[in-house]
Amino acid sequence: MSIIIENVNKHFGGFHALQDVDLNIPTGELVALLGPSGCGKTSLLRIIAGLERPDTGSIRFNGEDATRQHVRERGVGFVFQHYALFHHMTVFDNVAFGLTVRPKAERPGKEEIREKVRELLRLVQLEFVADRYPNQLSGGQRQRIALARALAVEPKVLLLDEPFGALDANVRKELRRWLRRLHDEIHVTSVFVTHDQEEAMEVSSQIVVMNKGRIEQVGAPDEVYERPATAFVSRFLGSVNLFHGRVHSGWAHIGDLKAPAPEGAGLVSGAAAVVHLRPHEIDLATEPAGSIGVARVSSILTVGPMIRIELEREGEGREDGPVEVELTRERYLQAPLALGDRVFIRPRNLRVFAGT
Amino acid sequence: MNPTVSPTLNEPVWFRRLLIGVGLAFLGLFLVLPLAAVLTEALRQGLGAYLNALHEPVALAAIKLTLIAAFIAVPLNLVFGVCAAWAIAKFEFRGKSLLITLIDLPFSVSPVIAGLIYVLIFGAQGWFGQWLFEHDVKIIFAVPGIVLATIFVTFPFVARELIPVMEEQGTAEEEAALTLGASGWQTFWRVTLPNIKWGLLYGVILCNARAMGEFGAVSVVSGHIRGETNTLPLHVEILYNEYNFVAAFACASLLALLALVTLAAKSFVEWRGQEQRATVPHLIPAAAPST
Repeated sequence: MSIIIENVNKHFGGFHALQDVDLNIPTGELVALLGPSGCGKTSLLRIIAGLERPDTGSIRFNGEDATRQHVRERGVGFVFQHYALFHHMTVFDNVAFGLTVRPKAERPGKEEIREKVRELLRLVQLEFVADRYPNQLSGGQRQRIALARALAVEPKVLLLDEPFGALDANVRKELRRWLRRLHDEIHVTSVFVTHDQEEAMEVSSQIVVMNKGRIEQVGAPDEVYERPATAFVSRFLGSVNLFHGRVHSGWAHIGDLKAPAPEGAGLVSGAAAVVHLRPHEIDLATEPAGSIGVARVSSILTVGPMIRIELEREGEGREDGPVEVELTRERYLQAPLALGDRVFIRPRNLRVFAGT
Repeated sequence: MNPTVSPTLNEPVWFRRLLIGVGLAFLGLFLVLPLAAVLTEALRQGLGAYLNALHEPVALAAIKLTLIAAFIAVPLNLVFGVCAAWAIAKFEFRGKSLLITLIDLPFSVSPVIAGLIYVLIFGAQGWFGQWLFEHDVKIIFAVPGIVLATIFVTFPFVARELIPVMEEQGTAEEEAALTLGASGWQTFWRVTLPNIKWGLLYGVILCNARAMGEFGAVSVVSGHIRGETNTLPLHVEILYNEYNFVAAFACASLLALLALVTLAAKSFVEWRGQEQRATVPHLIPAAAPST
């Protein structure tokens, strides 16, 4: 089922949590709402679910207006960050809950419910915990039960609020992959909220990057990473080194380097520009040609297969802090460095944004 | 959950014994001794006299009235308490702190004043006195007045007990139930109520104890008509003032018994509630044990 969100605004007291949000989620996608805490991603998810009401705007499911619909009628499955399992019920009763609260006429028979619950527990690979209580399960197991419970009512949309936020790193990794596979299996339109860009990249087919109540960019994981629309997206999706310069008739000048800065997005002549350089998109050269600055090696660290080098800038841009460079071991060994070496920073790829 | 005492806080043995001794002596002097006195006085002229005193029609009427007042006040306060606690714990609204203050009012107002309020409103010289007289409705010096006064003084017990329990639990489970298609009613019965049942029961027990034991407020509105508007505590006072000690202490022993039963029930509920709370995984997800 597709979800169309139009012109949604939401205030909490004086706080403008969502500002003019428009979003289109096609059927069957697995979409991540990604952003720092307080960016409005959870509010947006709760508005889609019907747990909050937007001040303005509309939500449409498959073209049908659902803005005024009650949560209970929307047919959404919601998975809470802290599971929200009914702790006085067994796992079986938790999963069966959505079926047993149906009006008598629509309620499946006892045997049918039992079969359905068994099938869902099989799906989340936890058949053996049916008779246990939630407090007897590990965090990862609880979250999978919460998912099974949400799926029991055959939701048209699955909404997950930081589903792996409360789990430790290993379990989180495993569950991510598992969720991805599950989605491939059942193909229900899914939206999940996360503040972890790695999680968003790994799990989702589309990423919606949010900041301060607005949507910054929507796109496939590759796209938002490779072609971030704003400086915020670029910084949020991975570490970047900053270089400051100025725009002159379509070119950004940073040190000796000229980078194309197409008009638009505030990049007019005379405006300040900032260049983002990811640590793995940098070459270290001994010649100044094509370099963006010069620096001295201040530390060399081996982190697994990567060599992480920290550079102390010389001349301009010192206040922007040290420059981080990541080289593969092979590349590093072609031209090893020593502490204190003077090197030229040559970008292999860069992004120019307006502003400082 | 075991509070391990740090060695620096470990007082010498004699000091600990002294503290415990003082505590026990205090308890003995002010609780056990009076309780024993009540029982010995009640049984001074033997079990027969004791039972006779309780069999008096006037005593039976007092017991009955006490039960009636409690039977009306406790369920009403149960409903009110759940509603108020629900509103306070789960919603944000204007005047919330005012509501909390108002709920606490009966704790801070002297019971005598509480009784007087009803006399001023419904008494012969009160606001509605004339109207009530004309329509032949009796509130003051009658059962309705006693029930009203009892409701007033027991007003905060259930709500006060539930507010922290409900606040701690938050709204996630209710929201989960709603997303799964449950109606508001189903959510209340199947999710909220099981979660608050121990806190609720605890509040009801305290509420009931107060309802049956209330003296001041009821005394003002009762008019002390024997066999009609005397509750058990008022009956005890009258008997005592008439130097009928055996009967007075016999009735008092019933109230003492009620207190003991309440204490036992309260301890049991507290213990069960804590046990349940300890196993509730609410706010400790990160440290979830891996099984």
